[in-house]
Amino acid sequence: MDKSLTWKVGLIIAVIALSIFLLYPPKDKINLGLDLKGGMHLVMEVVTDEALAIQTDMSATQLKGLFKDGSIPHEKIVRKGFSKIEITGTKLDDERRIKDILDDDFRDWTYTMGGSLIALTLRPNIEQQLRDQSVDQALETIRNRVDEFGVAEPTIQKEGLAGDKILIELPGIDNPERVKGLIKSTAMLEFRLVVSGPFLTEEAALQEYNGQLPEDLEIVKTNPRRLDKGFYVLKAATVVPGKDLKGARRAQDEYGAPAVGFSFNSQGAGQFEKFTAANIGKSLSIVLDDRIESVATIQDVISSDGIIKGRFSVDEVDDIVLVLRSGALPAPLRYIEERTIGPSLGADSVRKGLAAALGGLLLVVLFMLVVYRAAGINSVLALLMNMIILMGIMAYFRATLSLPGIAGIILSIGMAVDANVLIFERIREEIATGKSPKSAIDAGFKKAFWTIFDANLTTVISAVFLFQFGTGPIKGFAVTLIIGIAASMFTAIFVSRVIFEITYGRRRKLARISI
Amino acid sequence: MHLFKQEPKFKFISKRWYAFALSGLIVLGGLYVFVSRGFNWGIDFSGGTLIEVAFQQPTSINHLRSSLAAINLGDAQITRIGNENKFFIKTMSSLKKLNIRVEEKLQDIEEYEVVAREIRNGIMDEASRAQAAAGKIDLNNSAEGEIARFLRDKGIGDDDAQETARLAIALRKSGSGIIGDFAELEKAGAKHRVVSLLRAETFLGKFTFLSVEFVGPQVGKDLRRKAALACIWALIGMLIYIAFRFKFLFGLSGILTLAHDVLIALSFILFFRIEMSLQVIAALLTITGYSINDTIVVFDRLRDNLKFMKKDNLEAILDKSLNQTLSRSIFTSVTVLLTVLSLYLFGGEVIRPFAFTMLVGVIAGTYSTIYQSCAWLKVWENSVLKRKKSGGRA
Repeated sequence: MDKSLTWKVGLIIAVIALSIFLLYPPKDKINLGLDLKGGMHLVMEVVTDEALAIQTDMSATQLKGLFKDGSIPHEKIVRKGFSKIEITGTKLDDERRIKDILDDDFRDWTYTMGGSLIALTLRPNIEQQLRDQSVDQALETIRNRVDEFGVAEPTIQKEGLAGDKILIELPGIDNPERVKGLIKSTAMLEFRLVVSGPFLTEEAALQEYNGQLPEDLEIVKTNPRRLDKGFYVLKAATVVPGKDLKGARRAQDEYGAPAVGFSFNSQGAGQFEKFTAANIGKSLSIVLDDRIESVATIQDVISSDGIIKGRFSVDEVDDIVLVLRSGALPAPLRYIEERTIGPSLGADSVRKGLAAALGGLLLVVLFMLVVYRAAGINSVLALLMNMIILMGIMAYFRATLSLPGIAGIILSIGMAVDANVLIFERIREEIATGKSPKSAIDAGFKKAFWTIFDANLTTVISAVFLFQFGTGPIKGFAVTLIIGIAASMFTAIFVSRVIFEITYGRRRKLARISI
Repeated sequence: MHLFKQEPKFKFISKRWYAFALSGLIVLGGLYVFVSRGFNWGIDFSGGTLIEVAFQQPTSINHLRSSLAAINLGDAQITRIGNENKFFIKTMSSLKKLNIRVEEKLQDIEEYEVVAREIRNGIMDEASRAQAAAGKIDLNNSAEGEIARFLRDKGIGDDDAQETARLAIALRKSGSGIIGDFAELEKAGAKHRVVSLLRAETFLGKFTFLSVEFVGPQVGKDLRRKAALACIWALIGMLIYIAFRFKFLFGLSGILTLAHDVLIALSFILFFRIEMSLQVIAALLTITGYSINDTIVVFDRLRDNLKFMKKDNLEAILDKSLNQTLSRSIFTSVTVLLTVLSLYLFGGEVIRPFAFTMLVGVIAGTYSTIYQSCAWLKVWENSVLKRKKSGGRA
């Protein structure tokens, strides 16, 4: 064997060894996609409009405070839409002072002044920033919740053209309903004073106020799992905001029934103490995500610790504790896509995918052997090596194997031997023109190279766009196809050439070859 | 084995009008179906509910349809999977159609969930419905955690509860997804005591939901735009590549051939009511990348021949080039075709639309390379020859 052949063979062995090393043991190294192992695929949209509205409300409140401090007469300060504030009824004389306030403390806003109306609009870049932030925050909160719940190997990532969607993949999930509720819970915990109630219907509650509810009151529904179905009229303002909640834990009420224990930080505790002291004898409601969980009479001054009583099961207590601990979501979420793949379907798909792959491989091997005889063996060796490299690279990148991914592998079996077909046909042509086998092989590889390159490049171009566009499983297809094609450039051109050199290289005179 | 003993001498170009007519007919047919019935959009694009259900007993489509009609879901699309007792049930119906009133306003997906629950109840047999109403859980439709929790609540120890739940799921996994008899569980190693409790407190439903998918309508809108963008960019990519690789008229013929393949594939998708899903789009994009290959091989040869065969007329040169590359075009397609065929036959129902589209695309790609790519050049004969004379290169 001449020197260059030695290092070529060495390289090939090294690549095979490396691929097998990367791949071994395959069970641990190849990730099966959700469609193959069963599980749940969720896509949710973060309603960023709501997050903006909350921010704008806070700014409006701040503005009210500043106007009050400066005793600037005005009629109303209200939020318009998601990102606008309107101030009405201001006096022309105060224009200078208002401008100062807005220029100093409201730099994120642009404003127009027209007579007695001042309109503030959030700057577009700040608005985008807030939207992005709320998605990031939601992502983080969801990740905390899923981690605490203990799902193995979850995927949680941003998705979508606008980047406002969150993709969650939970393999082998064993209690879909519970996890879904858990993820979605906004976990906005509020303590609010009860004004009147309970009422059986919303209309009955409204009638108390002659059909016109004062602005500082709100009708809120009970959570029917904890309280009798009905409505209460509550103060709109929350006593302690959710962010002052320090911790939550599993607790018991005086009868030993499961309850949710909570504690405030010092600021929250101070506020709560002041509030309860002033309202002894009145009813306090605990509202979670706009549903009343519990209504109790304030019997004593409470400061930092308390419990929420209700008809909880242990699991429900655990879930509420979990969402309270992981923090509130900055904005509500909407499920827009949900796919649940049962365990037996996944197993079935693996079986069928394997059958199709083996069938395809067998058919192609047979075809190559029948058409190209000995040279066919060459291409089969190259093909097998292609498969090993493909799986090795997939293992290295921890790529996920989905059903379309298997289709990609099967397709690349066919495309990998395409290169061999192009080369072999060219060699046949060269032999037909009367060239010696050796120079025919040389010419065949040389002339077929650019054709193969072209052919593979166009397929890779479309696979790349497919990767860009596709979601989950389709990305898996694009990835296996690209890797398979890249590997075939190495195996069909380089490896199969070396095999020819080994087989025919030592013979001085080569009269004919089997092709 | 050689496909031809000697270089074949087929007169492809002279048949070009037949070929154009054939393709034109197919595409017109496709256009007709498109206008009259449109695509059969999968839930990826249309939004809706898709349930794959497996029954234990042989069940007829008509029976299934009538039980769905009983809950106002008569327009649900039901497809049998192969010859098995498995079906796809697809519906875009919302609650309003089912005459169900719910208290609160539900989001799209939540509505679909209620629809799925209705379907589950609708296709249940009387016996099972009674059991479910009595608060028993269905071992064939409960998740592992649900079964384990149920057993724990009934006073079974933690380990036994978990082990039994695991066994039940493993049993479903290894078979068709349905446990036929409680005895199977005991045979698989579950404790007699636990199985007795299961017999009393649970039941074995006659079907199982293998998969349940809900897609909200806004997803489809996003996806359609993305799919269209991907296709357009892939075509632009091919155009740039071909423009870089070949002169104008060759590039134009190449793109026309490519468009032909995609149109033919789309027509067959329309004829056979193949569901337009993400994977079908993937197949179409793969066809765009793959079918241009053969064409490039022929054009490469043609470019050489145009240089060497200056005396022959264009038709002879085109035919010669096609014949020289014929066995190559056919063989390369056959290898891919074999793998796609295997995928179609053995890959299962889920991947079949993909395999079907690829099958049509690869066949159309080979046919169009032989009968169309060069035929277009013949149509523009005068321009091709003019360039040949002046530039020497096409």
